[in-house]
Amino acid sequence: MEQILDIILRFVAITVVFTVVLLIVAYTVLAERRILGLIQGRLGPNRVGYGGVLQPFADLLKFILKEDIVPDKSTRFIYFLAPVIATMAALMTMIVYPFGPEVTLPFVGWTIPLVVAHFDVGLLYVLGVTSVGVYGIALAGWSSNNKYSLMGGLRSSAQMISYELALGLSLIGPIMLAGSLDLTKIVDMQSRFHGAGWLILLTPLSFIVYLIAAIAETNRVPFDLPEAETELVAGFHTEYSAMKFALFFLAEYINMFTVSMLATTLFLGGWNVPFAEDIFGRGTILFALVSVIGFLVKIIFFLFLYIWIRGTLPRFRFDQLMNFGWKFLLPLALLNIFITATLIFFKPDLGW
Amino acid sequence: MLVLLFIIFGGLAIGCAINVVAQRNPLYCAISLIGVFMSLACLYLMLAAPFIAAVQIIVYAGAIMVLVVFVIMLLNVDEEERRNIRMGLLVPAAVILAAALIGEVAFVLWSVSPNPTLQPSDVGLTNSIGSALFTSYLLPFEITSILLLMAIVGAMTLARRTEVLPPGARVVPGAQLLAVSDLDPSASHDVQTPIKSDSSAEAAQILGIVDRDQSKRD
Repeated sequence: MEQILDIILRFVAITVVFTVVLLIVAYTVLAERRILGLIQGRLGPNRVGYGGVLQPFADLLKFILKEDIVPDKSTRFIYFLAPVIATMAALMTMIVYPFGPEVTLPFVGWTIPLVVAHFDVGLLYVLGVTSVGVYGIALAGWSSNNKYSLMGGLRSSAQMISYELALGLSLIGPIMLAGSLDLTKIVDMQSRFHGAGWLILLTPLSFIVYLIAAIAETNRVPFDLPEAETELVAGFHTEYSAMKFALFFLAEYINMFTVSMLATTLFLGGWNVPFAEDIFGRGTILFALVSVIGFLVKIIFFLFLYIWIRGTLPRFRFDQLMNFGWKFLLPLALLNIFITATLIFFKPDLGW
Repeated sequence: MLVLLFIIFGGLAIGCAINVVAQRNPLYCAISLIGVFMSLACLYLMLAAPFIAAVQIIVYAGAIMVLVVFVIMLLNVDEEERRNIRMGLLVPAAVILAAALIGEVAFVLWSVSPNPTLQPSDVGLTNSIGSALFTSYLLPFEITSILLLMAIVGAMTLARRTEVLPPGARVVPGAQLLAVSDLDPSASHDVQTPIKSDSSAEAAQILGIVDRDQSKRD
């Protein structure tokens, strides 16, 4: 009986997290269009609802109502499978991030950790699921039976494989300092010094490498070669229309969100808000609320950074992209591992 | 609960594995193989080896199979044609191997009795794998890394062969970069003036380059 209750509770938690994430993602799209408008000296969508707040729902309705066109010579099964893989891989990582501290409910006295699934190798799980996301794009490009799509898919696979290395190596720094692959433990470790022991202070280099590699992993400007519209029409999703296109669109923005979440968890202290624990006390609802809001604010900062970068930087050329990834980011990540290890060797109390 | 999950993922693994062999389209085979790796990872997870499960997905599903799919897509392999493979010796060999496999499974099922005093082991945990790799298995670990380094260097030397070309090398559009003197020593075209042509065939004619692939096909 208790087991069934536990499973039901987990499904409820997953549903809540997915809903919140999808809502935030929908508004990221709107925010991106408005902020890009601001940067480029125009207005952006502001007609649907007050200041455009209902625009995401209008877009969704449009996506649903559009005709779904399937290219004649596409490989059917894979063509349908690709957007599903992309979205699923993007959504699946959500469950391991702790988005708040343990909270003790008043009256009943239950202590609930604010995380959907506590996973011993949470970080590796995130890396694994993200690496599966490549298939969505690569298969979409191949199955459309279109040269532009194939080019987009191949570019994307090459880019993601190359930058995954730098990304993985940049995570070694925080792992070494925290001494664990468990995201909950990594966040707890950053609660030292009144919640201000953020790992970015100890490994700033690894933060920079992570940030750059993460932008490349999500195929965003300036690394948006897989869908460079001036060269490849729209890249891997040229042949996709209606809801299937919407799924790819969604996957891209969810990936942005996931990457921001990981950056927050590993480098910016996760839900830790400096001095919040001293003011509200551990385990109270108010403390949990402040922490969750702090977590969201940090994520939104990263999302804004993404949009900002998109509005201000031009696109890489493909050879520049490869040179940058292999000859600059990768050695930098290795150097960072060396520096962090030296640091821990001489000051062991820095780490766990 | 655990039994139900085991049946689901075990069945998925077997189904995908059969599909790998049965499919004719190589890309479908590759995708089925990814399915096998995924279900295996889930089984490892149920055996309380989360590290191995995660590494299984990262290394096999995330890296190796991406390369396989990449190659299939680049070469654009079409569906394998239905043809009469000469079975001959293969049939008895398959029968013997199948018999051996079934015998092995039967032996395992017969010899292993359900053990009520199962000790929780830490074999698949990050900590135990890390400490084992860097203490008792340090030498094999280091040797493997040198082996991998050699493979990388080998791949690079194979890929960088075009660097040794003489400065008088020409580019024929749509063809590989090759020196004129490499292709035809008797061609005495002067290397300084650029060639004007509308197609690669024309340029090759002016340069006196024989398309070796073309002559092979004729």
